[in-house]
Amino acid sequence: MEETLLKITRVRKHFGGVFAVDGVDLHIKGGGIWGLVGPNGSGKSTLFSIVLGHHHADDGTVHFQNDCIDGLPPHEIYAKGLVNAFQVPRPFQRLTVLDNMLVAARGHGGDRMLTSLFLTRGWQKQEAELADEAMDILRLVELDRLARSPAGELSGGQRKLLEIARGLMASPKLLMLDEPAAGVNPILGRKIFEKIEKLWQQTGLSFLIIEHRLDLLFDFAQWVFVMDKGKIVIEGKPQDIEKDPAFYRVYIGDADVADS
Amino acid sequence: MDPLIYVLDLVVFIGIYSIFSLSLNVEFGFAGIANFGKVAFFLVGAYTYAVLSNLGVSFYVCLIASACAAALVGFLVSLPTLKLREDYLAIVVLTTGEILRQIVKVERGIAGGVWGLAVSPAINTVGLPPRIVSLVNIALVYGCLVICFAVAQRLANSPYGRVIRALREDEVAAEALGKNRAKYRAQVLALGSAMTAIAGGLYAQYIQFIDPYMFMPIITFTVWIMVLVGGPGNNWGALLGAGLIEVFDRGANIIKDYVKLPIDPSNLQYIIYGVLILLVLFFRPQGLLKETPLKTRALESVERGRDTAQDNAS
Repeated sequence: MEETLLKITRVRKHFGGVFAVDGVDLHIKGGGIWGLVGPNGSGKSTLFSIVLGHHHADDGTVHFQNDCIDGLPPHEIYAKGLVNAFQVPRPFQRLTVLDNMLVAARGHGGDRMLTSLFLTRGWQKQEAELADEAMDILRLVELDRLARSPAGELSGGQRKLLEIARGLMASPKLLMLDEPAAGVNPILGRKIFEKIEKLWQQTGLSFLIIEHRLDLLFDFAQWVFVMDKGKIVIEGKPQDIEKDPAFYRVYIGDADVADS
Repeated sequence: MDPLIYVLDLVVFIGIYSIFSLSLNVEFGFAGIANFGKVAFFLVGAYTYAVLSNLGVSFYVCLIASACAAALVGFLVSLPTLKLREDYLAIVVLTTGEILRQIVKVERGIAGGVWGLAVSPAINTVGLPPRIVSLVNIALVYGCLVICFAVAQRLANSPYGRVIRALREDEVAAEALGKNRAKYRAQVLALGSAMTAIAGGLYAQYIQFIDPYMFMPIITFTVWIMVLVGGPGNNWGALLGAGLIEVFDRGANIIKDYVKLPIDPSNLQYIIYGVLILLVLFFRPQGLLKETPLKTRALESVERGRDTAQDNAS
């Protein structure tokens, strides 16, 4: 039996009278790149925010590895190794790009008040190492030249990249990306996915990715979930889903898909 | 009256208010906590100091006890608001200040009620010439100011400072990156309150008399103006703001002893404060001094290393 990474069981969430998520079962069995697609308003992002603790599900359970994580606050979910990049980037605007990265770092001793104030030697070395690591990741997303600029000065696409870089800096076990290729130029979009694949191969970091650029997602994902009206309607290998007429029925009226 | 006394008195007040505004700068400037109840912690500090000092406890113990008492109050105040947004915290601390003042007003046994409390200063200056008294207080106040400033600077330029600045910028994102908002909020409030209480203790030591009417909400707003004018997120700005506002405040009192004016300038004070705060918010919302970027020695060495690498490459 394979190791379970993320297991969502019968999760429901309603806003007013509408069920945004209506009994979703989603099982990520092991490492890799997993895709989640579906028309706008099908509940993908709501599902993400439930898993990450920003919203509470009305019903159902969420397990990460062997721990039940539903109802936990976001910072405890981060502690378990589940991290996300927001769909609309949320940089810490008045901090530099490098500081943004260092906030995300895991287990920084200087995050504690007394250590920071009185035991400077305790964290200086760690800070230097983390800064080096952050610079490596920033080079990966081509933001290293802007490391010292305030994050508020970045362009929309660069903010997107910083958002992903910050997620990587948190060295999670599963990184949940909400439309990583949206709003960046097409070539960079592909580059991001190539880097995601490389990261999975080199470090074993797993990804769950919401993406409307199906051409990209289907090239890189090993398994895709299709969501519609708050439910997972199809799942399978991307090459099978591409051939499935039911998949196109779900997406009917969505111009993006007709083009791609 | 001896004009030099005015100046020395001003210097003491600038010192006390510098500590006060530094503490608000830590809370608001760095952590983004809108503490509208600063005077509550000033009151806790002053009364703790006064009561202990009257019992004959030594100066340093009095000050440390004041700081601890206020830190505890700060921590307790943060508790009911842990799950709420920060604007609710602002309301809770604002009311806490007024509630504490009302309690002190009716508590006659220890705090002296409306009659106030004469403070026998822990460092005894009774009988000394006024100039010497001021100088002793200047030494005490500025000694404490140096320590508080060092703490505030260290806090600003450390990983902890980075986390609280991140929480100020975006609580949701910071929580998603593993930062426990409630914990940091409680800690920062405890530290800021402790600093405020030190200012309160020094105030009691200097004035040698305290009563509930010295702790009106206007004190809170005066300190807010200091921070907003000086520049939130900049410790030097907090000192600058405290200096400017105190010079204006005390200066108005001094002038009226020497110059005959058609109106009392201290009555104009609130109008001028209001205009000042509007002007600053309109034309220089970041304050006179900009927020200082975060600097740690480790980051500097990383950046130096990169610069030399680039120089070698080019």
